[in-house]
Amino acid sequence: MLLDFVNFYLIPGLVLGCIYALGAIGVSLLFGILRFAHFAHGDLMTVGAYLALLLVRVAGLAPIVALPAAAVGTALLAVLIDRAAYRPFREKQTIVLVIASFGVALMLRSLVQLLGGVGSVAYVPGIQRPLVLFDSLRIAERHLWIIGVSALLVVVLHLFLSRSRTGKAMRAMSDERDLARIAGIDTERVVVWTWLIGGGLAAAAGVFLGMDTQLNPYMGWDLLLPVFAAAILGGIGRPYGAILGGLVIGLAEELATYPWIGTTPLVSPDYKTAVAFAIMVAMLIWRPTGLLRGRQFG
Amino acid sequence: MLLEASDLVGGYGGNDVLQGVSLAVDAGEIAVVVGPNGAGKSTALKALFGLVGLRAGCVLLDGHEVTGWAPERLVAAGMGFVPQERNVFPTLTVEENLEMGAYLRRDGIARAKEAVWALFPDLVAKRRQAAGELSGGQRQMVAIGRALMMAPRLLLLDEPTAGLSPKVMDEILERVQAINATGVGILMVEQNARAALAVAHRGYVLQTGRNRFTGTGPELLADREVALAFLGG
Repeated sequence: MLLDFVNFYLIPGLVLGCIYALGAIGVSLLFGILRFAHFAHGDLMTVGAYLALLLVRVAGLAPIVALPAAAVGTALLAVLIDRAAYRPFREKQTIVLVIASFGVALMLRSLVQLLGGVGSVAYVPGIQRPLVLFDSLRIAERHLWIIGVSALLVVVLHLFLSRSRTGKAMRAMSDERDLARIAGIDTERVVVWTWLIGGGLAAAAGVFLGMDTQLNPYMGWDLLLPVFAAAILGGIGRPYGAILGGLVIGLAEELATYPWIGTTPLVSPDYKTAVAFAIMVAMLIWRPTGLLRGRQFG
Repeated sequence: MLLEASDLVGGYGGNDVLQGVSLAVDAGEIAVVVGPNGAGKSTALKALFGLVGLRAGCVLLDGHEVTGWAPERLVAAGMGFVPQERNVFPTLTVEENLEMGAYLRRDGIARAKEAVWALFPDLVAKRRQAAGELSGGQRQMVAIGRALMMAPRLLLLDEPTAGLSPKVMDEILERVQAINATGVGILMVEQNARAALAVAHRGYVLQTGRNRFTGTGPELLADREVALAFLGG
């Protein structure tokens, strides 16, 4: 019973949580630096996933091996998108940027559909047998990779934000943008770094989602709701909160389908996403600054 | 002259708060700007630092024109600015706040940091604490310390004692004098006019966006008219 819980609920919840967290970090960082909700973030994940697919198909790489190149490509694309679609509106009202990001989301999705097809595809077709640890703990190899690499990325991000000059400048700018300029911080350089990190992590989330399930052009867009829920839950503008928020939302979605009472799932798996939505609504009503006291959203 | 600003006209949007303000600070001096609310004191300071648009006027730093320069460029040229509010990075530690002040420095910052610790010994014990958790006076010290990290020749202070208790206010003004004693020129806007003019080599009274009185600090303090109109009798 306990093993079933771990194998079929806890581990998938953690995996989903990692994916949400990687997306939410970018959303949260971008909101802190540029003060707008980046609605194209989900589609950046899709682009990352499909870039990895290209490498899997063309070079025959394993998806996890294709990840670094896909992340770099997505990160650079994010910087280019910022130059073309967001920077001209930097001093405009927030809503202008939000709408621009909707436009970018549509363009990215159409591009993926055009080049990658409209159907679902898998990195590696067929069923993969899980590893069996200690006789009874069953865990898919891809899940080990997802959790392990996510943890590694979070540690690297932490070191970057807490030790490097640019990382500290990023936190400073997220705190007080005007003061950052007064202190002489090169704010446009910080913006570029924010896109590189946000884009790279979005690609990782996309590749992981593709490894866990399948790829389709709507995969990232469909993830936007739980990712925003995670960012809000953690406190918008707080990258550490986004990690926490992602894990909480991912676990909550999976654990809500566990038969806590009786023998049927507490929440039907079809309604999993509603759990994220419910958490987001509750947070916005009762604690809009999030668990780690971030900025008020909106 | 270290800084010479003449006939500044400008403000926010189409609204010219400044209608011809002139200010100057010589090396090693403390200049204090006082005046009623809405006189344009803070706006003048922000305009000098490139944070408010100027429509006319001229700003010279060491005789070189710097009118309309962006803040980061002025920082590199030796000017530091401490805003009145939101002047620390609240989630960064005290030490990280200082490091951000030295963002443009490519040489070592250890000595600049030591100088700030020596000036504000109270901060040493708080170096790993988030700046947002500090008291008002300590935050002000962090804010001033941050601006000192670039070793500026001129420091602009916008109401450094606002909202502080009289005891802490005296402490901050005494520290400002200590900074000045190391050769840094100070241009300070102050609401606590008497206390600030008492330490000023040069004083300006502004009213509705124009210069009203100019003199040394003691001269302005002794002037009946200034005292009656602006210093509460």
